[in-house]
Amino acid sequence: MGKSQPVMSIDDRIMWDGIEHGELKLQSCSHCRTLRYPPGPICAECLSMESNWVPVAGTGTILSWVTFHKRYFDDFPPPYNSVAVRLDEGPIIMSNLVGDEPEGSWIGKRVRLEFVDHDGRRQHAVRIDRAG
Amino acid sequence: MSNQLSNVAAVVGIGHTDWRKDYAAHRAGEAGKLDSIGLASLAFTRALKDAGISRDEVDGLIVGPTTPYERMGEVLGIDARWGGQADAMLAVMQATMAIHAGLAEVVALVYGNNQRTGKTNYGGANAAGGASFLSYVYHAPWGFTSQGALYALMFQRYMEETGLTSTQLGEVAVAQRLAASLNPEAVMQKRITVEDYLASDFVCEPLHLFDYCLVNDGGVALIIMSAERARKLRPDPVMIHGVGRYDLNRGATSLEPRLTEYYLPAQQKVAAQVFDMAGVGPEDISSAQIYDSFSCHIPLALEGYGYCAPGEAGRFMQDGNIKLGGRLPVNTSGGHLSESYMQGWGHQIEAVRQIRGTCGERQVENCRFVHYSSDVAGKAVSIIYGR
Repeated sequence: MGKSQPVMSIDDRIMWDGIEHGELKLQSCSHCRTLRYPPGPICAECLSMESNWVPVAGTGTILSWVTFHKRYFDDFPPPYNSVAVRLDEGPIIMSNLVGDEPEGSWIGKRVRLEFVDHDGRRQHAVRIDRAG
Repeated sequence: MSNQLSNVAAVVGIGHTDWRKDYAAHRAGEAGKLDSIGLASLAFTRALKDAGISRDEVDGLIVGPTTPYERMGEVLGIDARWGGQADAMLAVMQATMAIHAGLAEVVALVYGNNQRTGKTNYGGANAAGGASFLSYVYHAPWGFTSQGALYALMFQRYMEETGLTSTQLGEVAVAQRLAASLNPEAVMQKRITVEDYLASDFVCEPLHLFDYCLVNDGGVALIIMSAERARKLRPDPVMIHGVGRYDLNRGATSLEPRLTEYYLPAQQKVAAQVFDMAGVGPEDISSAQIYDSFSCHIPLALEGYGYCAPGEAGRFMQDGNIKLGGRLPVNTSGGHLSESYMQGWGHQIEAVRQIRGTCGERQVENCRFVHYSSDVAGKAVSIIYGR
């Protein structure tokens, strides 16, 4: 079976270094400011290859979610959830919802990013934002 | 728009392996007797026989993604003046393009896949397809894996937005199993009801087991020839009337085109191209063969190609339109869900059989045009087959 592993391109490495320190940073085009996720070598809007990294506010909205009932990874015993979150800055990320789960639909619920230890690595998760 | 690829090429030969027998043998604990190359080889010999031509007439070769091109040509003894490697839909398009360009006259398309006995994983740590589609592997740190989960995530949102219910989605699995029950070659022939569907286990919720394709061994082959030569060869060549493709690559890994537009813009662009090229519209189509790694491909395609309005697919299916005898019978062989998971290759030969009129109890009456459609990770493709 095997464990889950992050994809680690040259550009991903910088993002994961930030996550290890409890901060999600996104790549921002130095020319047109478009944010990109996943990280990559060039801006898909203006084709500039210059970029810098900016921290996100850590808030967003659930776009969709699923519950896995089949085992795919040694480190993810079912059932477990995965959620698609649109960050307030724009990009969509996948994460896991921790803490209380909404009754009924999760779509449209406001969430806040946090950082968890998962099987030897640090990564992000989201929690329902009561304030939001 | 261009119609230069319309009626330049025709399918004159089809063949496939004994997937029902092979599946039963595997379930009984027997080892597979053919690997992917062997399965493709068996299908090729049958397609050649169906076409009634000799191997030496083949001057072009397209090999599916699961077998190596050179070795495939070597075992079949084919030196080609034109060749390539492609998935089912692009193989048909490329053969048509090569014939139109004069680069080949008789093209063999061969596919073999021992995915069940070879234990191919479509999710998890070594998910197949990860080298081609980053979205298949990028979200693994959050346990998010498999093409099925990508469609489950997409469809969860689609259901909330359109009001389509699980009961309505169940119509796909039920209709395709009904068709498979009339197909002696189908792996799964036992009829199911919507209640059976709703009671089946979730794999990745909201999708149930019956929403997922089979995983079985098999091979498929087609012989495609210039239309002029095909008409001299046999009385019933199946013409390729139109082809079209549009890819949504932007935002593919972050799932933007999946989650916000359900790939609808890609299918609408392809619809304009393929129907224009063929000179027909959705109302002229007798049957649709829709790539169904998961049931939810069907409602999305019904809307994308204008068989019903966006958001109306649930009602369209509930009203019996996709069943045999309905307005638009879909996946009349049972498709990936019930006949055999041949990654789109089986759909091409079912289109040919329906146009030829050789489908027995599951034959669509007066079958004039068959529309093949697929979207795999936002790569929308269509082919229209007809007399």
